[in-house]
Amino acid sequence: MSLTLHVDGARWRAHLDAVATANPGLTPVVKGNGYGLTLPRLARRAGWLRDQGHDLDTIAVGTYSELETVASRFDGDLLVLTPWRPFGPELELDEHLERRVVHTVGRLEDLVDLLDRHPAARVVLERRTSMLRHGFDADGLRAAGRLLRGRRTASVAGVAFHLPLDQGSHLAEVLRLMDDVVAADLPTRTLWISHLSADELATLRRTYADYVVRPRVGTALWLGDRGALRVTSTVLDVHPLRRGQVYGYRGRTAPRAGHLLVVSGGTAHGIGLTAPAGESRLRARAAVLARGGLDAAGLARSPFTVDGRQRLFAEPPHMQASMLLLPAGARVPEVGDELDVRVRYTTTSFDRVLVD
Amino acid sequence: MPAALTVRPVTEDEHLAHLRSRPSASFLQTPAWGRVKSEWRRESLGWFRASPDGAEEMVGTALVLYRQLPRVKRFLAYLPEGPVLDWDDAADDLAAWLDPLTAHVKKQGAFGVRIGPPVVTRRWSAQQVKDGVADAGTARLADLAPSVREPLGAAVVSGLRRLGWRHQGAEGGFAAGQPQYVFQVPLVHPDGTARTEDEVLKGMNQLWRRNIKKAAKEGVEVTTADVGDPAGLADELAAFHALYVHTAERDHFTPRPLSYFRTMAEALGAEDRDRFRVFAARQEGDLVASTVAIRVGTHAWYSYGASSTEKREVRGSNAVQWAMVRDALAAGAHVYDLRGITDTLDPEDSHVGLIQFKVGTGGEAVETVGEWDLPLNRVLYRAFDLYMSRR
Repeated sequence: MSLTLHVDGARWRAHLDAVATANPGLTPVVKGNGYGLTLPRLARRAGWLRDQGHDLDTIAVGTYSELETVASRFDGDLLVLTPWRPFGPELELDEHLERRVVHTVGRLEDLVDLLDRHPAARVVLERRTSMLRHGFDADGLRAAGRLLRGRRTASVAGVAFHLPLDQGSHLAEVLRLMDDVVAADLPTRTLWISHLSADELATLRRTYADYVVRPRVGTALWLGDRGALRVTSTVLDVHPLRRGQVYGYRGRTAPRAGHLLVVSGGTAHGIGLTAPAGESRLRARAAVLARGGLDAAGLARSPFTVDGRQRLFAEPPHMQASMLLLPAGARVPEVGDELDVRVRYTTTSFDRVLVD
Repeated sequence: MPAALTVRPVTEDEHLAHLRSRPSASFLQTPAWGRVKSEWRRESLGWFRASPDGAEEMVGTALVLYRQLPRVKRFLAYLPEGPVLDWDDAADDLAAWLDPLTAHVKKQGAFGVRIGPPVVTRRWSAQQVKDGVADAGTARLADLAPSVREPLGAAVVSGLRRLGWRHQGAEGGFAAGQPQYVFQVPLVHPDGTARTEDEVLKGMNQLWRRNIKKAAKEGVEVTTADVGDPAGLADELAAFHALYVHTAERDHFTPRPLSYFRTMAEALGAEDRDRFRVFAARQEGDLVASTVAIRVGTHAWYSYGASSTEKREVRGSNAVQWAMVRDALAAGAHVYDLRGITDTLDPEDSHVGLIQFKVGTGGEAVETVGEWDLPLNRVLYRAFDLYMSRR
């Protein structure tokens, strides 16, 4: 009756354990929809990893609003990745959380403001990368260093880099940025860093052996072993369809005979919602174009598969369910059967997550 | 907003006066060094800042050597181990300090400018270097986390890069310019108080201490000569040079002519009697080792060395080094500088022996910011780059 994420528990846990072993100082990222696995589950699982003996004392959330959900399920430190601003939920932070939260700060004025409000705040200073999202520039980081030398009550938990995806080697950029970190003369020797390959991490750790590297890992940790995860939808109804027959909310006519499948999983789950693919390779962009052509014909490939084949949406997905076209000649599933679904985990809310 | 800085030529006297007002500067930035490098046009430059009362204050200097591009009347403006600035101050706004310099040399016909900020970025202890050589997995100094990282050096590197300057790297060997890695023995404690001879000696490895002791037992005597005694200096310089030519043959390098050292002695000695000094170690009348030492303020350098092939067992080289260290200590120097090393820690590399000799002094390997170029005319700069790479 539902869109379900099945997790092969033993395999998944083994993968988590392997990632934590390969990444000493691992900081699991527990944010957004919990990578489809939900925030509470990931927070508890991070605690489990720590209990396995891994060097893990902090998890990272995306926003201040996510803190409450994870705080009761993981009792270590909580790093907030979105930089602190003097407005929004960060100002309503519960007092009991203040001690456990590590704030990310990316602007000098915010650092002053935060320390004025909470002189003993724990902060991570973000250095802006080529991604140009948040963070200090080189001069800003030096200014932050000067400010912090005058405010010894603050506790600096490290410096963070948020690197872009897939830009070849990140190491050259990281090493350049490290000059700014050293130049800032900060009272910290910890680096919070994501998206470095194992080799790059090893090089960084060797040349900066006087620093502690804390790799932040989200996708590669929770979703790194796709084989441990399977998503299914349930067939809710099956109707034979004549060519030219009218069906659906929008009163479309069937282009040819076949069957109409009504399956669980709709826009409320994130099904059928797409973000720009962001592909820069020519081949990938051509594929996007091809899909667009299908769209123009009023038909779109759905993420639901029947007998291993992706089927077309009969019409745009509904809130809880989707309608699929099954051409004549294909095997017709029965009500209650499960179909495999390909989803983007970070944008999907499952009705159920079943860990075997 | 601090007052704007201007750069203009100054007299050698003004240049020297500024150097004397500072604890030390590289000898390559003294007006005298310009005279040693007589094949290049030289210029003394001063940085000026208007003080609040309207007066002008000289806040920096540079010796600029203009090296001509073959067949074209355009130059590389070269500031070896310079300019001499308060880098702490300059690092906060490098553009404000360097822009007037580049504008000036461009007007003088420079197609590019090369500087070598005398600012330290990293330090490695003798023990770390030793361990690095022993560890097969460590090929270069830079692969090794240093004992000290200097924030100022990092700030200068980051700032230069941002302003479009290009680092002139020399991985695994000596660059055409000044070495980025040097070996130094600190002569003061971190708190600034002087170390005693005994403390420095204790910092050396056992082999060095044994050799120094052995030289004394063998009756090796070390004498010095400087411009205070022109005749004595001339004799010692000639003796040094003969041994240096001998060393060059043995160790396969091209010796400089005696006239080069005479010019150096004269030019540097004229600025300050203590700038240039020849050390000679003799045993039973035979010259077994001889060196040239240079000092500017609190910085003392071991500049050139020569040693005999005969009588190596009397350890003249160690004796003369120890005499130079003691001399530097007595003069109140803060640093005894054994100059360049390569960054290699590969025991198979021919340069590693040099590091190992210097490591015995118990000092530290020091990485400076290195040399950085700013092209002012891209076409000519590229031509120059090509010319240098094929030389």
